[in-house]
Amino acid sequence: MEARVLKPILGVYCAAFILFLYGPMIILAILSFQGAGGGPQFPIIEWSTYWYQHLLGMTPPSRISRLPIGDSLLRSLTLAMMTTVVSTTLGVITAQGFRTRFKASGAVFYLVILGMIVPGVLVGLGMALLSNMLGIDRSWWGTAFVLHVVYTFPFAFLVMLAIFNRFDRSVEEASLSLGVSPVQTFRRVTFPMIFPGVLSAMLFSFTLSYDEFSRTLFTSGRELTLPLTIYGTFSVEIYPNIFAFGVLTTLFSFTLLLVYALLMLRAVRAGRSFKGQEEAV
Amino acid sequence: MLLLSSVTKRYGDVTALDRLSVTVPDDTYVSLLGASGSGKTTLLRVIAGFEEPDSGVVTYDGRRLDGIAPHRRGIGFVFQNFALFPHLSVGDNIAFGLRYREENPLTDTAEMRQRVADVIRLVGLEGLETRKVTAISGGQRQRVALARTLVTEPRVVLLDEPLGALDANLRERMCDELRSIRERLKVTFLHVTGSETEALLMGDTVAVLSAGSIAQIAPASSLFSAPHSADVARHLNAYNILSGKADGGRFLSDCARFVMPGHPAVQDGTPIEVALRFDRIFVGSADAGEAPEASISARFIASEFNGSSVLSFFRAEDGTLLQVVAHLSGPPPESFEEGALYNLAFNPQDIIPFIKRAA
Amino acid sequence: MEFAGEQMQSAAQAQGGQNGVSPAEHRARQERRNALMLISPGVVWMALFMVLPMVMVIYVSFWTQTTFTVEPTLTTDSWVRFLTSSTYLASAWTTVRIWAIVLAATLVIGYPVALFIGLMVRNQTLQTALLVICIIPFWTSFLIRVIAWRPMLGTEGAINMILMKLGIVDTPLTTLLFSELAVLIGMTQIYCVFMVGPITFMLSRIDPSVIEAARDLGAGFGRIFFKIILPLSLPGVIVGAIFVSVMVLGEFATAASLSGRKVNLLGNIIVSQVGSLKWAFASVAGVILTIIIAAVITVLLRVVNLRKET
Repeated sequence: MEARVLKPILGVYCAAFILFLYGPMIILAILSFQGAGGGPQFPIIEWSTYWYQHLLGMTPPSRISRLPIGDSLLRSLTLAMMTTVVSTTLGVITAQGFRTRFKASGAVFYLVILGMIVPGVLVGLGMALLSNMLGIDRSWWGTAFVLHVVYTFPFAFLVMLAIFNRFDRSVEEASLSLGVSPVQTFRRVTFPMIFPGVLSAMLFSFTLSYDEFSRTLFTSGRELTLPLTIYGTFSVEIYPNIFAFGVLTTLFSFTLLLVYALLMLRAVRAGRSFKGQEEAV
Repeated sequence: MLLLSSVTKRYGDVTALDRLSVTVPDDTYVSLLGASGSGKTTLLRVIAGFEEPDSGVVTYDGRRLDGIAPHRRGIGFVFQNFALFPHLSVGDNIAFGLRYREENPLTDTAEMRQRVADVIRLVGLEGLETRKVTAISGGQRQRVALARTLVTEPRVVLLDEPLGALDANLRERMCDELRSIRERLKVTFLHVTGSETEALLMGDTVAVLSAGSIAQIAPASSLFSAPHSADVARHLNAYNILSGKADGGRFLSDCARFVMPGHPAVQDGTPIEVALRFDRIFVGSADAGEAPEASISARFIASEFNGSSVLSFFRAEDGTLLQVVAHLSGPPPESFEEGALYNLAFNPQDIIPFIKRAA
Repeated sequence: MEFAGEQMQSAAQAQGGQNGVSPAEHRARQERRNALMLISPGVVWMALFMVLPMVMVIYVSFWTQTTFTVEPTLTTDSWVRFLTSSTYLASAWTTVRIWAIVLAATLVIGYPVALFIGLMVRNQTLQTALLVICIIPFWTSFLIRVIAWRPMLGTEGAINMILMKLGIVDTPLTTLLFSELAVLIGMTQIYCVFMVGPITFMLSRIDPSVIEAARDLGAGFGRIFFKIILPLSLPGVIVGAIFVSVMVLGEFATAASLSGRKVNLLGNIIVSQVGSLKWAFASVAGVILTIIIAAVITVLLRVVNLRKET
């Protein structure tokens, strides 16, 4: 009886929670359409796309400087792609290694997982100290990049571990029994079958790296990545151009998600990988 | 010739294979009969190299196989779940081994097409080459699994309950086809199954696997008519097994007492098991005068009709379950009354006695 | 690449017999060696780029700090300075306090949501949809989500506007933005989902018939909650708490953006010290932060043995 009362109450509460999650973003999106003379708050003096144009450099110069997103966007995308390739590769081969039992597997597991637990500001500091000591210049494609992999590799590893966990080994054994070497078996059988998992690992790595800044802060040197550019605005007055940027970058992320969903759909349709052997007893 | 000698494989405390030795001759169909958990799949996996034995030796034509990677053993494997490559078409599944194998891969496309076409005709999959393996029936998948293995011309093909995933109709047809395909290719098939009918029907030679070792290996007919142990007889699902002891050349148990054939020279009191074929028992009325020389009185429980024969269950006074088969080709069996007492008579010459080994 | 070394197998195998190693054992060793070869790139990467930097932080915390540089002469000066400065000790205390409040807030706010999604909604599709709705905001940049609180909480922000329209307040509240409250609200919103997710997962695994049976036996909701639901969801709470703790303790951006420099977490100390090239001092703050995080995780893992639970 109490559950009957409780359920609608919790339902309303849950709706309020979702509003709490989305509220700020909705306000931000509304304010991104502020007029040219308006500030980063209500009231909206005039609905316009002025700040979007400002962001893209399509407005006449004003006292408010443009967000330097052009180069930093390119850097962030490149960095995210480099990170995706390396951490997914590491994730796949490490998870593949974990399919054979070996003594130190517990320790290795925790070592890898630690990468997603250690606060970015700490490894960032440590890497900055290390590069100082060794006299290596800090750069987004060097010191920052290796830390991005430290952060995203554990996610890729966990995704691949889960995929291998439910992988039907007999398909690989079938390939071996046909005289095909383990390397070829991995390439011709295992990899095509785990490909949907690899896509997920790549998506994880890419989005995490693209948005990562606490690890980049001390390690990227002079050239800023996109999150660092945004972080730079924290200490100064903000303008609606950053809101417009927020809306655009969110749209970009959703596009990425959509591409992933489409690729996944295709991969699953092409393979039906995990349901191919449904007759197994 | 495939030779296993004293092969042992343990998983933790469980011994799957216990000093198993067996010889599998060339160009034969060997079926391996074993209950689930008898280690039959483990045996195949050890031969194929997916598992390594803890001790013992596996050789083929004198060359040692254990320790060699599976893809260098030249032994084919047909999986119970078929384990087809789900991302490839029927044709690509079949061509897979020829195309990618380590040793001597086939690069000539014309020859490839020829050999794939040949094996497709052999297993009867014409017209399905371009289909996805997810878009064909269970029986067709079975053929793909077989064709994929046969096209690489292995010396020995291991079949792990290959018919287990098929329905009854298909199973019977596949039985005939497997035999004829093997005879044409002259390779050795080692076919593992839990069904005694399948084992006896398929195998030129039948091996019975029990508790991790080979209990008996013999031609199908002699294995069936003369099992070497009560254990083998049990696997054949055609014998009643009675436990008792020897008593002056006689078998003595709580429900029966009769003269054993050949008067085995055993001491009185030795534990004895006897096997009595289901179809060598004649059911008579309990009060039909004097009981014949060898008989057991038991109460009728139930009957099962299965096409060509009737299987009836009786329970003796001491609780022993007895099965009787009456073939319908003979005189029509009378119907029995449930719970009523009958006399199960048999010729003592049909009895196969075994000395019971201490467990 | 992955299976390198395999080629040598046959040759080595021939010797195997002589060494008294069975071919099977030899192959098992070979396979273990291959596995180790596969995991070694990842292990080396983590050792070089995670473990080594962390060791560096500890090491440099004992270096001598001069005005613009550090020298590898070992000293405890930076430690003494940190541990005797009320400002820095206060920031350590602030870090712990903010962590505790945010952890409690995410649990209190998130648990009922998890209860609804995991236990009350029994429709799989709706359950997944609700979870996806909760996760979608993560596809927005973290920093953008932090900044989004500014137009909400400011003196002329949305909340003040609504409060004034409703006549609840006459003058806009000035304590909403650039205060500790702003940091707490921001962090709670951003990290709450990390609490909701694991708890929902554990709750959705509860067999409804168990609760049904308890109800048939006359147990009230309170009793069912404390005897069945809460204990079964505890592993989810702990996992969520570990997520939230690790992220909140390492935070500095939310405080930098929403507190108007009024809240200085250990993370902020590290950032500002690095900004003024006080490496040794930043390292001390880093080591203390590491100790706090390690202690928190240890305590949380003590509460529930996760390995046993899952």
